[in-house]
This record gives sequence, C-alpha cells and structure tokens, in this order.
Amino acid sequence: VARLCVCDLLVAQCDVNCCCDPDCSAQDFSLFTACSVPVVTGDSQLCSQKAAVYSLDVEANPPERIFKLIDQVNPSIFCIHATNYEQALYLKSPEIPTPENFDQLLDKFGGATFSAEHDSWNLDTDAQNPPDANETSRYEYGVPVQTEDEFLRLPSPVVSSWCSDANPAGFLVNQATKCIRSVSVEKCDSIQALSMLFYINSSILAVPKSSQMVNITVQSIVVQSLNGMRTLLSSSDVLRLPMVLDELCINAVLGVNYHITHTDTGEIIEAAAAFVLGAISKEALSIEQSFEISFTQENTQPVPLSGNPGYVVGLPVRAGFQPQGYPFPAAFLSNKHSQLTILQSSSTQDCLAAQGARAPVLFGYNMISGCKLRITAAMKCQPLAQTLLDVLKGQSFPEYVASFGNSQAQDVLDWVPITQLHISEQMISHTLQSSCQIPVSLGIEVKWTKYGSLVNPQARIVNVTATITSTTLKQLPSGRERIIPITSSVVFTDISSPAEPSYKAWPTINIKLPFDFFYPFV
Amino acid sequence: SSQLSSLPLQILLYVNGIYYIFYFLTTLAMIIYKSQVFSYPDDLLAPDLTVLFLMAILEIPRLYLGFKGNLTEAEAPLGLSLGLTVGSVVLCVYLLLWQTYVLWADVLLNALLLSAYGLESGLKVMAIAAFVS
Repeated sequence: VARLCVCDLLVAQCDVNCCCDPDCSAQDFSLFTACSVPVVTGDSQLCSQKAAVYSLDVEANPPERIFKLIDQVNPSIFCIHATNYEQALYLKSPEIPTPENFDQLLDKFGGATFSAEHDSWNLDTDAQNPPDANETSRYEYGVPVQTEDEFLRLPSPVVSSWCSDANPAGFLVNQATKCIRSVSVEKCDSIQALSMLFYINSSILAVPKSSQMVNITVQSIVVQSLNGMRTLLSSSDVLRLPMVLDELCINAVLGVNYHITHTDTGEIIEAAAAFVLGAISKEALSIEQSFEISFTQENTQPVPLSGNPGYVVGLPVRAGFQPQGYPFPAAFLSNKHSQLTILQSSSTQDCLAAQGARAPVLFGYNMISGCKLRITAAMKCQPLAQTLLDVLKGQSFPEYVASFGNSQAQDVLDWVPITQLHISEQMISHTLQSSCQIPVSLGIEVKWTKYGSLVNPQARIVNVTATITSTTLKQLPSGRERIIPITSSVVFTDISSPAEPSYKAWPTINIKLPFDFFYPFV
Repeated sequence: SSQLSSLPLQILLYVNGIYYIFYFLTTLAMIIYKSQVFSYPDDLLAPDLTVLFLMAILEIPRLYLGFKGNLTEAEAPLGLSLGLTVGSVVLCVYLLLWQTYVLWADVLLNALLLSAYGLESGLKVMAIAAFVS
C-alpha cells in the first residue's frame, strides 16, 4: 500500500494536493493545503491490514507531509481473517491470448458481433431446445431473420460506403440501404453479390431454430438499361444470371426489394424479392446497389402507422371516410390517398392556377399556407366560391380523423369526426343573405391530449374542427380587379388536463367470521 | 464406587451436541452471507458446503456412539467414536484454514469446536483405559 497512489495522475509531475505522489518533493508538499487522499488501504473487509496514512503537518514551518504505515483493524466479527481464493478481492483480468486458447477467443470475439449466437446455430444441440422453446418459437422485433445457413443479409454500408454483407435483416425492421460495390466486368459472372441466386438461394426459417423453410420467390424483375430506363419483365420465373456480353456485364443485380409476410404470432409465411437488374459497362469500377426490406402482416393492407398507439410528432395525421352503411358503418375507408391535407403554397401564389399540390398535415406541426386570388369584375360568384372551396379543402376532404396513430379501420370508436364550421364575416350594413359569400380561409384546429401513463404519455386526437371563414364579395366596377389573400392553417392544441398520479389501493385484509361462528348461542 | 463411566466425558458430549447444532446453523448462515457479499463462484462454494454437511452427518453417529459407549462402559463404541472424531477434526481444520473465506467468527467457532474435540478425545482415551482394565 505504500506504493499505491490513487491521485497520482500526471506522470513525472507533481499532482496538486496529492500527498502520496512520489514525484513530489518536500518543497511541493509545503505548498499543499490539504491531502486529497488521506488513507490508502486494501479491502476494508479484511481483519487486519496495512494502511498508509498521509497527512499534512501545518504547524511546522514550512508544512511537511507525514507518512505513516499503520495496521488498520476491522473490529467487526465478520471481517475476513484469511482467504484461500486469490481473485476474491481483485477485479478479474481478461484472458491473455495464447496459442492454445486463440481459436476459442477468435470464435467468440472475432466476428462482427460479440455474441454466442454461433453456438446456437448448431442444430445438433436439441437438448437445449425444450427449455428455450417458449421464448424462441417466434420472431420478435429486431431479431435477425434466420435462414438455413446464417441469416438474411441486407448488404449495407458499414464504416464507409462499401457494401458489407454481414448486416442481418431484423424482423419487422423496415430498412432501405444503398451501398457501393466494386466490380470488374471481366469477372462479373463470378462475383456472387451481382447474381440473383445469392439473394434467393437460402430459404428463410419460418420461426427461429425450426426446420420449417420458406422459399424466397422472385416477385418481379425490372431491367434497367445503361441510360437508366427501366422495363418490367413479364415473366419473372426465369432466373437471370450475370454474363458478359459485348464488353458489358448484363443481368447484374442493382437492387433487391424484399417483401416478407408474417403472421401476428411472429411466424414468417411468405418471402418475395423484387429485383432490378442492370448492365455494367467496362469502364465502371463500382456500382451502387440499393436494398430494401419491408414486413407486412398477412391479410392486412400495409398502411403506415403514424404512431403506436399515440401519434408521433412529424407523422401524417390519418383520416378516412365513412362508407355509406345503414345503420352503423362497419369500417372506415382509409388508405394512403385519404389523408388530411392542406393547401401547399406554390411559387406563383395564384389560387386559380394552383396545380392542386397539397401537403399532408403532420401531427404536431402547425402550418399556414395561402395563395392570392385575383378577382375581376367578370367573375361569377357561385363558381368562384366552389373553386375556392376546392382549393382550400382539396378534392376529397376526409370526414373522420384517426384518434390514435394506429387506429384500425374496423374500430369505429377510434375515429373522431371532423366538425365543420362556417363563419361568415358579414358587414353589418349589408345583411342581405343573397349577397355573395366566398370562402377566404380554412382553419383546422386539432385538439389533442396526452393519454395513458405518466411516464409514457401517448398523443391522442380528441377533436378536429375545420372552420371556413367566408366574406362577402362586393361587386366590382368593371375593369377593376382586387387581390384577396386566401389562407389555410392547421393548429395543434394540447388540451391535456394536468396529470394526477394515482396509486394502487392498499390491500385490505378481508376477515369475516364464518356464518355459524356463534352457533349454539345465536 | 464401581462406576467406570466418565462423568466429565458425558457432560462434554452433551454440551458438544448442543454446541454443534449452534455451530452448524451459524456456519451455514455465514456461508450464505459470504456468498451474497463476496464473490463466491459455484465451484468454490460446493466443496465448502459439502464439508459442512459431511461433518454434520459424521457428528450424529459420533455423539451417539460416545454416549452409548460411555454409559454401557463398552470400549468398542467409544473406540469407534474416537475414530469418527478424527474425521471430524480433519473437517474442522479444513473449515478453519482452507475455506474460501475465513471470517473472524469462523475462526472463533472452529477453534472452540477443535478444543472441545481435543478434550473429548483425551477423556475418551482415559475412559477406554478405565473400561479395559
């Protein structure tokens, strides 16, 4: 312990206020104010051990350091008198590689991941399976999708932009990657990663560690020519392998799009791959390959969720229509095309020349947009009002908005109707009902609240109000024209009530005497 | 008097029996304590527990034979008990010196037990001598 010093951090230099630093001279000690490390001992659990005590004697002039080596006694009756286990009180040092254990260490730590998964690929160890059967009888989110030999590979750029084939595809993790692969046209039929077979030859295991296989089928093949034009091939069951033709390498894989269908219990039932094949010219030293994988649950339409369950800021607000059903609608129609959209300001700022570009309303993002309307005397009121309504609301303004980000179309109660209000700014002097009203602004107010637990509140839309403000169009004298601004806006308001933490009720002891306890007397 | 049975030996055997129960429970509790507080790998815990239970298993016949031999004034059970005492002494020395963690309380308990064994052995030898002659 006399040689140990915790505060000696600087090599060959004196650390300030470090009384145990061997680099300090007596002059340095005289400048210290206190000792940062007064005692250095071994494990305090030992019954008796040596302790180095450092202190500063401030009475002396100049102050000097006092070093004492004392025996520290632990008075507890449970102090360690002796141990026969050397590593008991020290940290474990890592294994030093030697020629004997090198292979084993390389297996464990040499791959891209430090995992013991290599052992689990051994299908001979059936004895291990029964206890783990419950946990690994289905895929869970993020678990690598297993194939016959290893796992489904999604080549992706790792450190640099070059493709690395060791990236496994995770279950339910939709990914899209692009990476660069070095190629040479002469050897293009021998480069595995350019051939379709490489991506579809190993079948996927339906559940981890099982023997049920799912073959990867070829869904479609798109051929891309040298100038970038893509053609969809009509027959996609013929396997096209890369070959050299006229100084070009054709049928080289430029992109793969995997579509995996799974059940709701985590079992993969179908796998399909859509290929983009292209030609590589002789001068090209590298090509860019793009890979994508998407997972769909069987018997569902892949509707992207905007949150699970609460809305996530930045994802589009899902909306839909109620199909005409009597007496109650069975489900809502909601697909990618029925979204809540808002007018998108264009560069020309002319409402009537607007191309119909609309921006989706994203949850949590307040938006305002607009355009300018040029009114001439020749314009008729009614068509103008109708056109403006179309410009503001769009072609198919939805009637219902999903309350949660993952509301299913079948759950009628999870959908909030859009309340439509009309406000007309009427001049008090002109209260004629027959005068022309044109809508000039649309304001959508989305009221949402925090729902669920205090630690993880979910956003839930409670109320959506679309307010159309109309104003009277005064008849213009001929030849004059007016420019009116038309605006539309979306505002998200948080109406959550302050949270009240609630606790579970204390358990009560429920003691009741039996019915006939006082039998002889009552 | 023609009573050859040794009274001190009887007292000592009786006290030993009670003390051993206390010793066993305390040592077991301390091993459990050590396994929680210190790093106690399984392959070091197993021998320590084995020795403790082996000692407990040896102690019962040892004490019984001692009682029987002393009360019936027969040398054979007493001799057998002496033999078993040797085994118990060895196990006690293991727990005193070669356990994975020897706490101060361990030292006290084992030292007491060893001294009891030593005294008992001496008294047994004297009793055997008395019975034989």
